[in-house]
Amino acid sequence: MGVPVKPGRAEAADIAARNDSPAAAGIVRASFCRPLAGPALAALALPLACLLLGTDYALGQATLVATYAIAGLGVVLIVGQAGQIVLGQGALVALGAYAEALLAAVGWPPLLSLPVAVALGACGGAIASLPARRLGGLYFGMSTLAFALVVEEVLTRWSGLTQGAAGMLVPAFGGGGWRAQTPLAQFLVSLVALALAWMACRRLLRSRLGRAWRAIREDEAAAAACGIDLARTKSAAFILGGGVSAFGGAFYAHWIGFISPEQFGLMLSFELLMLVFLGGVGRLSGALWGALVIVAVPQLIAVARDALPGEGVGSAGLETALFGAVIVALVLWRLRGEKRRGGSLR
Amino acid sequence: MLRAMLTFIQVLLSGLAIGCVYGLVALSFVLVYKAADTVSFMQGELLMVGAFAVVVLQAAGWPLAAALTGGVAGAALLGAVLERTALRYTLGHSHLSAVLLTFGLGLMLRGGVTAVPAASHGMFVLPLPWADEVFRLGPLSLPGGQLLVMAITALVAAALSLFFRYSRSGLALRACAEDARSAALMGVPVARMHTLAWALGAALAALAGVLLAPITFVHLNMGFIALKAFPAAVLGGLTSLPGALAGGVFLGVVEALAGLVLPEGSKDVVPYLLLLAALLLFPAGFGARRTA
Amino acid sequence: MSAARALFLACLLLGSLLSATQAVAQVAAPGVSDREIVVGSILDLSGPAALLGAPVRDGMLLRFEDANAAGGVHGRKLRLVVEDAGYDPKRGVLAARKLLQRDQVFAFLANLGTPVVMATMPAIVDAGRLHLFPFSPHESTYSPLHPLKFQMFPPYQDYMEAATRHMVKSRGYSRACLLYQDDDYGLEVMKGVESGLAKLGQRLVERTAYKRGATDFSSQIARLRSARCDLVVLATVVRETVAAMTEARRNGWAVDMLVSASGYSSQTHELGGAAVEGLFGVSVLPLPYADGAPPRLAAWIGRYHKRFGADPNVWSVMGYVLADLFVRGAEQAGPELTTARFTAAMERLHTDGDFLGSPGYRFSPQDHLGSRQGRLAQIRNGRWVMLTDYLE
Repeated sequence: MGVPVKPGRAEAADIAARNDSPAAAGIVRASFCRPLAGPALAALALPLACLLLGTDYALGQATLVATYAIAGLGVVLIVGQAGQIVLGQGALVALGAYAEALLAAVGWPPLLSLPVAVALGACGGAIASLPARRLGGLYFGMSTLAFALVVEEVLTRWSGLTQGAAGMLVPAFGGGGWRAQTPLAQFLVSLVALALAWMACRRLLRSRLGRAWRAIREDEAAAAACGIDLARTKSAAFILGGGVSAFGGAFYAHWIGFISPEQFGLMLSFELLMLVFLGGVGRLSGALWGALVIVAVPQLIAVARDALPGEGVGSAGLETALFGAVIVALVLWRLRGEKRRGGSLR
Repeated sequence: MLRAMLTFIQVLLSGLAIGCVYGLVALSFVLVYKAADTVSFMQGELLMVGAFAVVVLQAAGWPLAAALTGGVAGAALLGAVLERTALRYTLGHSHLSAVLLTFGLGLMLRGGVTAVPAASHGMFVLPLPWADEVFRLGPLSLPGGQLLVMAITALVAAALSLFFRYSRSGLALRACAEDARSAALMGVPVARMHTLAWALGAALAALAGVLLAPITFVHLNMGFIALKAFPAAVLGGLTSLPGALAGGVFLGVVEALAGLVLPEGSKDVVPYLLLLAALLLFPAGFGARRTA
Repeated sequence: MSAARALFLACLLLGSLLSATQAVAQVAAPGVSDREIVVGSILDLSGPAALLGAPVRDGMLLRFEDANAAGGVHGRKLRLVVEDAGYDPKRGVLAARKLLQRDQVFAFLANLGTPVVMATMPAIVDAGRLHLFPFSPHESTYSPLHPLKFQMFPPYQDYMEAATRHMVKSRGYSRACLLYQDDDYGLEVMKGVESGLAKLGQRLVERTAYKRGATDFSSQIARLRSARCDLVVLATVVRETVAAMTEARRNGWAVDMLVSASGYSSQTHELGGAAVEGLFGVSVLPLPYADGAPPRLAAWIGRYHKRFGADPNVWSVMGYVLADLFVRGAEQAGPELTTARFTAAMERLHTDGDFLGSPGYRFSPQDHLGSRQGRLAQIRNGRWVMLTDYLE
């Protein structure tokens, strides 16, 4: 449980799950049948999108939504569960993407290269979390930003390995003669990957470690008093969150087919942060909903624009502005919802 | 030897000037952070919008001084309006909600400017007085634009410190930043101070945009400088106004000198490595008295 | 009851559904109907290259509207669908899928930005659509030879090699240096300059990089100056060109500078004023100066301004010229327009320059790169003046 998906109900359960009180568990149990609602909704939405947008287009979107959701899950672990601010998650995604791209290029099958990518992301997370021993809150977030900028710079400068700013091509996903080249195959692969990452995260959330994260998020002093090793627990969040995001990054590299350091800059980090906030930081499904907004909304705006009468002139900034407006509206809507219930969203 | 010395001073001056701009933007970050307890990710966009406003007003035939005042005041008004209509609702909520809200608002501002054909077709010059002159001091050549930036930054810093020390609003703003609840009990209109902080932050960003204009011209992406200014603000402790200014100048100078002295390619990493080091050595920033 | 498992099952079910619909989607000649030809373009209208994307789009629109006003291409109207990817390959991939499937475009024109181009080109080519004249210096946009890929922009490497060689030979420089943007653009220019110098038995004396969006060039210029360069090649865009030159002149360093075609813009001297006087540049297409323009060009500038509310710049010309090449190709392909016919027509296409001053573009079955040449220009009295013809 703890993964309610229907938006209206979910926030209540979100707050409840955070409290981990018996009453809260009751609410979650009441929405026991809800976990199916989200996937069912998604399952309905997809054919509809296919009909409206075209199969490949819809599948392409779904693939990227799933991939971004995986990367977002890592942020959920760090931000939503352990309560740490991370402004440099893009670098962890980059580590996964580059590891996978380099290994796939020399012919490693995914079963071997993916674990390496995840491990590299986890190492990156461990390094990024080092300042947590001394810094807290926004300052720590800032140090992750600095970490990300340094990683980006290293990827640019180490051109012998990464081909630097010129970027490198990534072969299609697959091994042993099979390649995921059709949109359908890519979608199915990313779906399986999302399911794997999701199940792993769910196990984590229910584990002792997950409870320790939430304890730290609520009150560090109290958590420490309960015998939780703050530094180690925070590091664990970064290691695991980094691994999950790197896992997403590995697939990103394959689906995009070309990676360069600039793709994993500040913009991606903010996108990921925004993604989990929009979807709801406290729960795993937040990553999925958020990915849907971040990836699909600009596309929907583009489709809606085509339906409008008149030439496309002047639409240059219009789409950006509309996307901004959607984000503003979503944030305000969430804030209003919180206010009504008197809860506070971290 | 003399040649090397001269080069060093020249590069140092350039670094100081760009550092002043970083410092001004960092000041605007800190102002907002202190009053609203959030990091604003639209300062870069406000900077760009403010600079464009001055360009537009001047093109409309206003004299430079009026255009400058109008542009900066316009940015302040914009900040106030955004606070009243959107940012206010984040009061009492998490850092993150306000951060994302400013991000969205920034996209709207950027999109709005991009939609203007002339803005998406080119860059603009803002003819500030003395900006193109070069003053000679013996073998040294001092670019007017850089001197202007430093002078105005010094003036703004002095004005701000007077404002926070002696004016009623300034003191009230500080009270809110220290402890909003007690301030409210003492009769400080907290909500109005919140508006004031955002307006001031926007005005400072716009001013930084005007000063940046002789260096980078006025164009859509000039706001990217905020990415450098934010680390500067953190370097200064995020809660300290003098710290922010010092952080900005420090970053500007280090960046410039790193490019001169260190091997090719390290220029861009050094500021961030330094930032990491500074964060670790001074966990609360250079100028801060309290930890976050 | 796990949500993940449910999700997985639901989607497996979908898989079979979707593969059924996929078969229906195949149409004979995508994007071409009796009434119109649909053309797609993935540009940057909101990201770091928005200053380039907007004029390119407007230039293309103007050429298509001209063609439509003249009755279209073999009676078919041209329709341009522009998607904004903001230099982000993820948005580029989605935009490409949209244009491929939803808009069913016949060809892609002028996709912008190497990350976007590299991410989208495989899907476009796999879908059998034309990939024409992208804004990317990457070699794979025309080589190895592919029936769907054509490029009209001369590669930085080729024309910078020619320009460097010409400059060094005719003006006798011995200490050439480079200031470059540390991305694929800068690297391509560097390759060209290095090979040009190598042919004359020289090499770069000093090179120094800056990051896109850099503001301060004092340290780079100081570095180049202390290396005693007598020619500084700039792999910069407009703003950085002006900043670098201003910095040098301000400190009394009167070194000659040569900028790639990315710095060849009227904005360079509008913004730089006296400081950029004497700057050498490479031009692959001339600027549209309203002042002293021949009547046809003046009329074109007037129409552009009236239509889009801004003066055309060199990128508007690029948009117009590349759209013009498309129109010519489509016209020569005949009334029964198919992709194969278009490719065949493009491979025969030879143009001889036009009122905008473009070079002749020559495509052949062996070579899909229309031009390799640039010409040398210099800023004199606040205006770019051509010094040479297109350099071999």
